[in-house]
Amino acid sequence: MDGREREPPESHLQSVAGIKIRGLMKSFDVRPQPVHALDRIDLFVTEGEFLCIVGPSGCGKTTLLRILAGLETPSEGTVDFSINHSGRPLQSMVFQEQGVFPWLTALDNAAFGLTARGVDKSARVERARAMLHKLGLNGFEHSYPRQLSGGMRQRVNLARAFANDPAILLMDEPLGSLDEQTKMLVQDDLLKLWEETRKTVIFITHSLDEAVVLGDRVAVMSHRPGRIKALFPVNLARPRNALELRNNPEFIEVRRRVWEALREEVLWSREE
Amino acid sequence: MAEGTTKLQAAASRRRSAADSVRFKELLSSIGSPIAVLVLWEIGARTGLLDARILPPPTVVAVTIWDMIKRDELLENTGITTLRFLVGMIVGTIPGTLLGLTMGLFRWVRVTLKPLVAIFYPIPRIALFPLVLILVGLNETSNIIMIAIGPFFTMLITAMAAVISVEPIYLDVAKNFGVKKRQLYFTVTLPAVLPALMAGGLVSLGLALLGTVAVEFLVSTSGLGYVIWNSWQVLSLSRSMAGLVVAAILGAACYLLMDWLERWITPWQSPAAKR
Repeated sequence: MDGREREPPESHLQSVAGIKIRGLMKSFDVRPQPVHALDRIDLFVTEGEFLCIVGPSGCGKTTLLRILAGLETPSEGTVDFSINHSGRPLQSMVFQEQGVFPWLTALDNAAFGLTARGVDKSARVERARAMLHKLGLNGFEHSYPRQLSGGMRQRVNLARAFANDPAILLMDEPLGSLDEQTKMLVQDDLLKLWEETRKTVIFITHSLDEAVVLGDRVAVMSHRPGRIKALFPVNLARPRNALELRNNPEFIEVRRRVWEALREEVLWSREE
Repeated sequence: MAEGTTKLQAAASRRRSAADSVRFKELLSSIGSPIAVLVLWEIGARTGLLDARILPPPTVVAVTIWDMIKRDELLENTGITTLRFLVGMIVGTIPGTLLGLTMGLFRWVRVTLKPLVAIFYPIPRIALFPLVLILVGLNETSNIIMIAIGPFFTMLITAMAAVISVEPIYLDVAKNFGVKKRQLYFTVTLPAVLPALMAGGLVSLGLALLGTVAVEFLVSTSGLGYVIWNSWQVLSLSRSMAGLVVAAILGAACYLLMDWLERWITPWQSPAAKR
């Protein structure tokens, strides 16, 4: 096989905890004609897995994530979360950089989910502060996002989701707006945080490097309407170091195969 | 190591003192320019370059202000103008803001009321004065209505536009983190529109001052506008000028107050929070 991984058969899935996406379709009712964003997505994400999704622009990857986040409803198909999340929220989303609230300080932003859930003040301040500290933002608790650099704002964004302590983290190109070097540093912080908690993560990105550095598997989506075209396992040992992986032969090999699958989709998008 | 640290500290303090001296020069320039204008005006009026009967020199105006205060003509009129302005501002901005927010939040309210706004907003406000006088009568209520109309429409339109243009991502974040629909107004919509409301407040302030003076020109027998207009009609130009100066000071004080209010209400917008 060319490195593609087939989905395990149905009977096997019953016993494994995870996110089960079956026959998911989404179209938007816009004029002059409806837009078909997603076409029969079938995907199983195992509990504790870090799954990265890449795909050409406009392929519906953000739509898929928004359905999982409860911000959109599917036109057809189902999503089953067979993940035990007692005492914690099921999922939280890490939004793009402009999702940080400009009117809240770094600390209040990080504590946002806890505040919404009614966690009492001392507990939420403590957790938010600890998370900011882990992400290297100690001393900036009372700064407003405007006073922070892009990389720091994105760390606040990560802190907000991790402090909320959900079972699943949904990340929508959270590092897309950062420059290449800052991106590597934040990736490294993200890897460290994730390796401590081993939450189930679905991570959308444009960057192949990022997908391979972070993911246990990389899913490639087709051009619109989006389908899962191929899945590639990434057998790089953990804990990983985002700064030192780029010359690893396995890294280069997986990256090459992912690009192989993605290339025709990207070219197709260009021709359309 | 220790030496390096000292060097760094020295460089930092040098930088700081350089920044201080720039700030001092800036302050000097911004205080200097009005003083320069006053001095040139004084010289011009004293040397006959400017006609002192038309443009009395600043020192004469200052003496006039002092005389008027002593004769109890100025403070009372300033107080009346300030009161009219404040009441008009409150009567205009608060309902305007509330209605604008409601129109922004609820589509059917917006669809219903927008045609009315479109008809009334563009009418030159001063042209409405005769109508208001007929409807309400020649009294303080009609004055306040005239002062309030400008701020009312300004806040209505600002608030409505601000609510409509709240970044959708903020609402998504709030929803994803489990904020209930009714809490959404206070956790997201209100803070997101506050900067626009403060800007609208600043515009309203100018409009309310303009309205106050205009009303006092036209119908009133009290207030700074009356002092300015009446003195001009009897060709007592230094008194007219004195009224003008006090009105300018009043305007500047309101502006500073608003500036302070903005820092207090939207601290994340303040210049100190800008990079």
